[in-house]
Amino acid sequence: MKSNRKHKSDLAILFATLGLMALGLIVIYAIGPMRANVLNSTYGTDYDSNYFFIGQLRSVILAVIAFFLAFKVIPYKYIRKFAKPIMITALGLSAMLWVLSLAGSSLAKCELGECRWFQLGPASFQPAEFLKLALVIYLADFLTRKKEEGTIGDFREFWLPLIAICGLSLFLVVIAQGDLGTGVALISIIFGMLLVSGIPAKQYLIMLTIVLAVAVGSVATSSHRMERVDAWFATITGSESNDSTYHIENAMLAIGTGGLFGVGIGNSIQATGYLPESINDSVFAIMGETFGFVGLFLIIAVFGVILLRMLKVANGTADYNERLLVIGIFAWTLAQVTVNIMAMTGLVPVTGITLPLLSYGGTSMIFIAFAIGLSLQISCYTSREVSKENENINSRRGVRGAHYTSRRRNS
Amino acid sequence: MSQNRIKLLKYVVIAALGIISVRLFFIQIIEHSEWLAKADEQHTILETIPAERGKIYMMDRDEPVAVVMNQTTYSIIIDPAVTDKSELQDALQTYAPDYISANLDEVYATEGLRYYVVAKGVPHSIATKIADKGLSSVWFQRGSGRVYLEGETASGLLGFVNADGLGQYGVEGSLNNLLSGKDGLLKSVSDVNNVALSIGDDNIKIPAENGQDVVLSVDRSLERGVEEITVDAVNSTVATNASVLIMNANTGEVLTMANVPNYNPADYGNVVDASAYTNYVTEVPYEPASICKNFAFSAAINEGVMTPDTTYFNQGYEIVDDWKINNATQTSNVYGTISMRTALYWSLNTGSIYALKLLGGSTTDITQQGREKLYDYYYNKFRLGQPTGIELIEAIGYIEDPNEGWGRDSTYANMTFGQNLQITMLQTATAFSAVVNGGYWRTPSIVKGTMSADGTINPLENTEKVEDQILTSDTSAMMREMLIHNRDYKVKDGTDKPGYDVGGKSGTAQVVVNGAYDDTYAQLIGSYIGFVAPSGEMPQYIIMTKMWGEGQSIDSGIAMDLFNSLSNYVIDYLKIKPNI
Repeated sequence: MKSNRKHKSDLAILFATLGLMALGLIVIYAIGPMRANVLNSTYGTDYDSNYFFIGQLRSVILAVIAFFLAFKVIPYKYIRKFAKPIMITALGLSAMLWVLSLAGSSLAKCELGECRWFQLGPASFQPAEFLKLALVIYLADFLTRKKEEGTIGDFREFWLPLIAICGLSLFLVVIAQGDLGTGVALISIIFGMLLVSGIPAKQYLIMLTIVLAVAVGSVATSSHRMERVDAWFATITGSESNDSTYHIENAMLAIGTGGLFGVGIGNSIQATGYLPESINDSVFAIMGETFGFVGLFLIIAVFGVILLRMLKVANGTADYNERLLVIGIFAWTLAQVTVNIMAMTGLVPVTGITLPLLSYGGTSMIFIAFAIGLSLQISCYTSREVSKENENINSRRGVRGAHYTSRRRNS
Repeated sequence: MSQNRIKLLKYVVIAALGIISVRLFFIQIIEHSEWLAKADEQHTILETIPAERGKIYMMDRDEPVAVVMNQTTYSIIIDPAVTDKSELQDALQTYAPDYISANLDEVYATEGLRYYVVAKGVPHSIATKIADKGLSSVWFQRGSGRVYLEGETASGLLGFVNADGLGQYGVEGSLNNLLSGKDGLLKSVSDVNNVALSIGDDNIKIPAENGQDVVLSVDRSLERGVEEITVDAVNSTVATNASVLIMNANTGEVLTMANVPNYNPADYGNVVDASAYTNYVTEVPYEPASICKNFAFSAAINEGVMTPDTTYFNQGYEIVDDWKINNATQTSNVYGTISMRTALYWSLNTGSIYALKLLGGSTTDITQQGREKLYDYYYNKFRLGQPTGIELIEAIGYIEDPNEGWGRDSTYANMTFGQNLQITMLQTATAFSAVVNGGYWRTPSIVKGTMSADGTINPLENTEKVEDQILTSDTSAMMREMLIHNRDYKVKDGTDKPGYDVGGKSGTAQVVVNGAYDDTYAQLIGSYIGFVAPSGEMPQYIIMTKMWGEGQSIDSGIAMDLFNSLSNYVIDYLKIKPNI
């Protein structure tokens, strides 16, 4: 394993990320006033028509800062040193939230009976988002250490601590916070990273089977979750509409009315109150109505570019730990994108998960932006041999031009 | 190994995004029109923009005054999924208990209901109070309610407007198209709270065309005064109902059209018997009985086969088609050879049958020619059994064909004294106008026209006004002379004021029971028709009264008494100057 010289980052990921954030901002600008209007007329609140746009603008600014901190400022090697404290802090925050919510503290912000946020004055913070990032960093470190110790696949040294730490994370998120969406993301992160960690295929499949069985069991035993599954079945089988199917139906109605080119920005009708969560979890459906099939296809293609480019970075990095980190970020992003979009199109039940970079919401955007920033940082250190395999003309031009000249100047 | 596994992840990405893309293609391209239809159903609100209903004016002498107006009312609509039930119930019970139109418990028990009208016809002041409560998802839909400024006066003439905004009966019903105008339409996409949005390009707004203000020729104060007198008449006799028609003898303009008892058109729902809505003057054909002798006599005189002094032999009865037709008056002093004038004064059926014989060129028999002539006068000239062409809904009535059916001679004999036919009061009075006004049959009217914003009255379009001289002025003069003298025998001195010519004729109709005339006279309908004029001048106004009661024997004398009261009232009210 050799250390690679720094070169130009993956521009595709960079521009795709910034482009999606900008798009999300534009869409919120268009539908935020409708959201404010619906809340005001229905619940008698007093949101300014720019409230949601300003909120999203703030989130995007913070997310861009986080993105560039991870991309350019904070070396991953430095972050990795703190993998354990970061994980402990993340778990601690989630545990604290749980305790506060049980104690009925006003610091725990609850919606519809689920307490997922810290409320500190005007600011709120969702520790589960931090936990996702922490788990990625921690697992990368953990797996690297086990690999170096040669204990990967060992029950006592490897599986027990892994199951303990992952189980605790899942408990705090899925059970304590009732956040199935984040649970799905965590499982995706864990199994994505395990897949490329080099553990034996047999062990991997056994664990996957066990986790899936537990997941199915936990859904089937929870009336709240089962309701969503029933609603999903009802929607895809076209049986009778009710309150539970309302969300999926209206998401699909938004997407379906978009047609080929969409109704155009600012012309969404579903955003005027018909579609629940129109600015956050359901923003993809509003985009479907607004931009049509062509627009959604392009958005999916941009996510595809980010995801495939992350795989390319992972493939290209010579460092085991960095590869695991990028795969973790990839798995996280993949889970959020596919589960969110599949729920909006009736392919899977609604779990309540944000669409990265596009949905309204501060914490989730800041942390995923930070994570993608980290993967970009890693992309500067991919080895040329590997990257040549998938290289195209653009990236070669980048390799030749920018990084050599800049290196010379720096030296 | 890790590179292979990464490649596996690449396939996972491609597969997942591929499935999503196919799914999107399916939803957005293939199912697009289905979703559009669903969206249309969910998003579109169709709202009618109600046209303001036209006002109804009557005349007060020469000035039009509004008698039917509108007030703005509101329907209260809620979203049961959002609106707080107890707060709503509280607000409605406090402010608008009389206007609640829905059972809130049922409304709230119905699943999936997002839109329901809970109160109707709420006046503005009350709606404002409820709006001030600031309840979530409560809407107020503007509507209009009718206000009848004259209360119950002329209710049978005016009719009412039902809950759907449709005019029913009377002027409201007859002129509904004119009054109602045309509702506009607002088609718009709406947000989840049913607030119209400006999004989209298939929003439609067709402005409402307000209804026309209609001016009736009816005189408001005269109508009210006549109704008061008529109510007194009904109350002081066994009659339960009375109808009065007063029209201008020379123009056909109706000044009064009264039906007693009245009802409250603003509270039409509480009327027990729907017959209260009926305008008996135009909508109910009946047998005016001896009043029709005027028409048979006029026909014979006009044909030159008879004068008031023509004589015939009266034996008190006549046998036609083996039916014995009796005179109502069987006093001995009218037996023998008498003049037609005497026959009219004593209202002898044998006299009018004799007129029919004369029309047929015979002095002994009813002939085909006689029947045909009478039919020609009744149906074609007097237009009995035909719509008069007034602006109101009217019944047509029926006149037997002279050459068809069984017992034609007895039918036609009966028709000379106003039985075996079905005609309305308005047809009768219009024909009677022609008898006394110099022979002109004119289309009666009750609508002066529509009123423009500047107050000018524009006659209705598409109304054909007929003026047809059907009798010579000599015929008419002879009839007037007989009708004036007719009252000398019936009316006590002093009833008719000096300086006026008042002429009239009564009619007492038997009622058909089980297909035959009831000869026990257990139920009779009394009618009287006459005119008033300054002495020696042409008649100015026709007054017709009709009184009846279920199972009551109403002699024409009762109807004549009402006429006598009214003729003097009309002379006073209309300030007809006497010639002394």
